[in-house]
Amino acid sequence: MFDPVVLAQIGWTSLATSSCYVLFALAFALTLKVSRVWNFAQAGVTGAAFYGMYAAMLRWNWPAAAGFAFGLAIAAAMSAGMEIWGFRVFRRQRSSPLKVFIFTIVFAEFVAYLLTLLFGTEPQALTRSIMSDVHMVGGVAVSDWDLRALGLTALLCAALFAFLRHTRQGQFMQAVADNGELAELYGISANRACLAAFLIAAALVCCGAWLYGTRASMIPATPLELMIAAVIATILGGIGSLHGAAISAVFLSLLQSASVLVIPSQWQGSLVYFVLFAVILLFPTGLRLPARLRWNISTRS
Amino acid sequence: MKHHFSRRACLRGLALAAAAAALCAALPAAAQQTLKFGLAMPLTGSQASYGKDQIRAAEWAVADINEKGGVNGKKLEMIVLDTQAEPTVGINAVNRLIDIDKAPVFITAWSAVVKAVAPIANREKVLELSVGANAPEISALGEYVYTTFPLADVDVTALAGYTYKTLGKRRVAVVYANNDSGITAAKVYRAVFEKAGGQVVAFEAYDPKATDFTGTLLKVRAANPDMVHLHGLVAEMPLVIAQMRQLGMTQRVSTYAGGYNPQMIEKAGKGAEGLIVTSLAPNEQQNPSVGPYIERWKKAEGRIPNGLPYTQYLYDAPYIVAALYAYLDRNKLPATGESMRKALLAVHTFDLPLTSRLTVNEDHTVRTPVNLLTVENGKFVPLATVQ
Repeated sequence: MFDPVVLAQIGWTSLATSSCYVLFALAFALTLKVSRVWNFAQAGVTGAAFYGMYAAMLRWNWPAAAGFAFGLAIAAAMSAGMEIWGFRVFRRQRSSPLKVFIFTIVFAEFVAYLLTLLFGTEPQALTRSIMSDVHMVGGVAVSDWDLRALGLTALLCAALFAFLRHTRQGQFMQAVADNGELAELYGISANRACLAAFLIAAALVCCGAWLYGTRASMIPATPLELMIAAVIATILGGIGSLHGAAISAVFLSLLQSASVLVIPSQWQGSLVYFVLFAVILLFPTGLRLPARLRWNISTRS
Repeated sequence: MKHHFSRRACLRGLALAAAAAALCAALPAAAQQTLKFGLAMPLTGSQASYGKDQIRAAEWAVADINEKGGVNGKKLEMIVLDTQAEPTVGINAVNRLIDIDKAPVFITAWSAVVKAVAPIANREKVLELSVGANAPEISALGEYVYTTFPLADVDVTALAGYTYKTLGKRRVAVVYANNDSGITAAKVYRAVFEKAGGQVVAFEAYDPKATDFTGTLLKVRAANPDMVHLHGLVAEMPLVIAQMRQLGMTQRVSTYAGGYNPQMIEKAGKGAEGLIVTSLAPNEQQNPSVGPYIERWKKAEGRIPNGLPYTQYLYDAPYIVAALYAYLDRNKLPATGESMRKALLAVHTFDLPLTSRLTVNEDHTVRTPVNLLTVENGKFVPLATVQ
């Protein structure tokens, strides 16, 4: 059971499959940091993006690039709409966090309900066959999907980092994340910064949905389950820490895959809930890395 | 001489005319009385694509029977309700069939639903015919629950024996959906294989609602089996096989009749090569009516049905109901569940269009030969028949 090849396979496959969860966690952590919204409506955006791509590619037979662009457009429009006509209104009204939380949950459930009516509950993937070529490297199965997923996720993480560090809008987002009211005094639009955060998050969840749907299948309720992993990763990685959220997502994927070595596999799905309880009770501020290893959205960095 | 019609006389006349009109309307309605039965299947939900094809087959059978005059001039009426293959929805559907539609017999499928509605059938004394569900405990669900489809201990037993004796495999992993369909059938396979002398090196369940089975499959891979037996629902089995291949697992896979559907090959692609499935219904060579039936599907839908053997049994199910109603008619019995059950036990052997001869045993089971098929070059081809 603890054969080195098996452990290596678990490690590699966990790393590859964590790519979707990294993107979902980054999206959630980014909107939380900049707009201070626990955006559970992200599940609705994820579902809408996925089914938009599914409809375009498998029902209307569009090319893959066009299908992805369609899903991205849906995600962006939905996120922008939520920010402009939802969260911005709540900020203006100084609404309580509970009201905003209920809004996001209801939105996510409503989208799942609509998707069920439109597409049913039969599992759907984004390709007719989810097989990809597999190469054996030292006894470890490395599929083309694994390489694509890791490559795309690394590219997106690097792009996000570069955007936040080296572009004006990215720096504005950092300022708003740090102190929104002070940023406004310096002429930085908090609303624009929040909108940018939501649009970037939309792009991240669309890419995550693409990766997930080319390897597994989705039903309308799946994004809500994926959200839980994103929330746990965000809390565990430390609220406000993007790289903490990303690393935590990888850790959770590894934990879930490796857990089958010691627990019955039918319990594997419930593990994430145990971790959620443990994180909330024991690590409410997340696992803090040493300062020199941290990379936060902070005006000091 | 003038005739005066009093107001009272006019009213009396109108009342008589209304009564006559009502009687005239009732007479054709009585002549058109239909022979009702229920069909509770998934019209929506994750199993809908299979449920809809099975409903379609049953609808064709009802139309064919009625076209030939029905049962002694009376037409069959099939009332279709959705179960979503979920026990709670199935309970609502069956309650409606019994309380509102007054059906003395109903057909249903999917083991979880069959088991959930069995207490209602027994309490209300309405005959429940399970067609397609294969959990072995269905044979012990009560006086009014009968299966007209062979249970898992028929085809799974045949498959386990074939794997050991003919294929010569000694180490098998069993992967199954953690629900009524999977658990019992997986235990049957394990018991038969181990009794034959083999070793079940991994016995792993997965959540049937999951879409990522990496963890379970990694555990199976670690056990290094010669072969993998899979027992899940038709919706997620292609995903399990595809993800197996993505993890470098090249072992041959076997599964029950649920795997015998074109979606398995479409979704799993070349990962399905070598897959062994069972079929509990005769093929075109064994029953000449099957060929035209398949052509009918291709003409109507442009494809063969999902779960062809299941649709054969569902096509034949209305013929069983028609035979029961014919028995009631011959013996002047009322259309109640008790009479239906009596008819089933009295007739007990049915010559059916697509599944040939079927005998319902006193132990509430049926037994048939098991056809094994395998996937070769993207198509199902016959492999063996186990008696």
